[in-house]
Amino acid sequence: MATLRLHSLTATSEKIPKSPFVPSSRVLSASFHCNEKRVSRRMTINAMGGGAKYKGTQMRKKQLSEMIEKKVTEAKEVCEGDETSDECRVAWDEVEEVSQAKANLRLRLEVEKKDPLESFCLENPETEECKVYDD
Amino acid sequence: MAVCSAYTTQSLNSTCSISTPAKTHLGFHQKQVVFYRRSSKRGGSGSSSGPCVITCSAGDSQTVVIGLAADSGCGKSTFMRRLTSVFGGAAEPPKGGNPDSNTLISDMTTVICLDDYHSLDRTGRKEKGVTALDPRANDFDLMYEQVKAIKSGVAVDKPIYNHVTGLLDPPELIKPPKILVIEGLHPMFDERVRDLLDFSIYLDISNEVKFAWKIQRDMAERGHSLESIKASIEARKPDFDAYIDPQKKYADAVIEVLPTQLIPGDNEGKVLRVRLIMKEGVKHFSPVYLFDEGSTISWIPCGRKLTCSYPGIKFHYGPDTYFGNEVSILEMDGQFDRLDELIYVESHLSNISTKFYGEVTQQMLKHADFPGSNNGTGLFQTIVGLKIRDLYEQITSSKTAAPLEATKA
Repeated sequence: MATLRLHSLTATSEKIPKSPFVPSSRVLSASFHCNEKRVSRRMTINAMGGGAKYKGTQMRKKQLSEMIEKKVTEAKEVCEGDETSDECRVAWDEVEEVSQAKANLRLRLEVEKKDPLESFCLENPETEECKVYDD
Repeated sequence: MAVCSAYTTQSLNSTCSISTPAKTHLGFHQKQVVFYRRSSKRGGSGSSSGPCVITCSAGDSQTVVIGLAADSGCGKSTFMRRLTSVFGGAAEPPKGGNPDSNTLISDMTTVICLDDYHSLDRTGRKEKGVTALDPRANDFDLMYEQVKAIKSGVAVDKPIYNHVTGLLDPPELIKPPKILVIEGLHPMFDERVRDLLDFSIYLDISNEVKFAWKIQRDMAERGHSLESIKASIEARKPDFDAYIDPQKKYADAVIEVLPTQLIPGDNEGKVLRVRLIMKEGVKHFSPVYLFDEGSTISWIPCGRKLTCSYPGIKFHYGPDTYFGNEVSILEMDGQFDRLDELIYVESHLSNISTKFYGEVTQQMLKHADFPGSNNGTGLFQTIVGLKIRDLYEQITSSKTAAPLEATKA
């Protein structure tokens, strides 16, 4: 005869890791500034794609993501033979370079909350890069 | 340095007027203010009542140059944002220029990324088999020439290294700012460049913390996995240890980031132990201290007056030697949870070069969403920013004092 056992699990909410790369929405900011305004603005911008307004920025994000994938694959291939070879080190250095570039872009969008192309596009609105990105 | 000369003229029909400053196309700034005082006596009776013309030219005050060594690429630099914020104003890329420029400009400061001095672009490095960390990939002669030029008040056309395309783009004009910050992998590598620096900082991230941060940075990326992140760090380590790490001994201040000792076995890099290692005897720089300068202090601020949540905060301060240099080390382990913890800690630190009580706290809160705002990285970066402001003010006031001394003598 089958018996059904019910186990109760105590849910433990784990603290969200405080990555230095993830903006911390802690109580610290509450006292000096109007926190609600900032939070709601952030939410709107996240809905808009994390601050990326122009096509050029979206293109860069995509390009960098694709490059990361491509270069990781390349590095793995190159290093299969000899992990200490110059080629292997250069390949992983390229991975680091594009990973960092992508992270910088992401961080800029999150922290500055405006598109890095903003001032460029003010002066060159007709270029392909400055078309406003529609989701 | 400002030099003022006063001339009297006998012109009768002068009126009060102020002429506008003249600016040459090279970025040389010459400010000439001419005051005309109307003659009080009509007809000029021969006494010294003629209008007085005073010409002041504030010719090229020397730029203060700061070097920051960090392996975190350029453009993110939370440190730079905190630093420029201390001086007021936000740092932005040059307006209307190359959108992939790495340069940041604010009212007082210009931050240039040393990657712009790569002599080899991505393809070139691949061909030669050198990483970006290798000195062979960088043009130190150009770096030296241009930093020297900017320091002496001459604008330069600096190359741009495009991190997206991996190519060297056409140069951009850099005008001499009041404070120039050179940020990158090799600010202290070349001796000539080192000698141009008024202050230098090295951001030393330990391997465990670097690994934890890079996991958080890259795990969301499609191409990455734990193995690829690890492999990338390992592969860069030999060049890093050979070319970048040795620069630490030249730095006036080192910010060392280590895993916490408050949580046994913590390897997530969330709670951090941060050490601010400050060289003694550096001109215009007085190290920060706790309670009693030169003594050794261990301090846990949490107790009866201040309640902290787990894991709390622990400070340490004391003299030490670092690569043969006399240093003072201020260390913070743990994290801030509340505003009052921050202000409490600030009120017990000395020599932080604030202009008013609570300035450190205010700066930290201003950028509460920057990484590191709740631990020693944000705190020490902010404090170093204030020390740099102090250093800048000391240097510029000592320069204006010098000619006055000369006229007195």
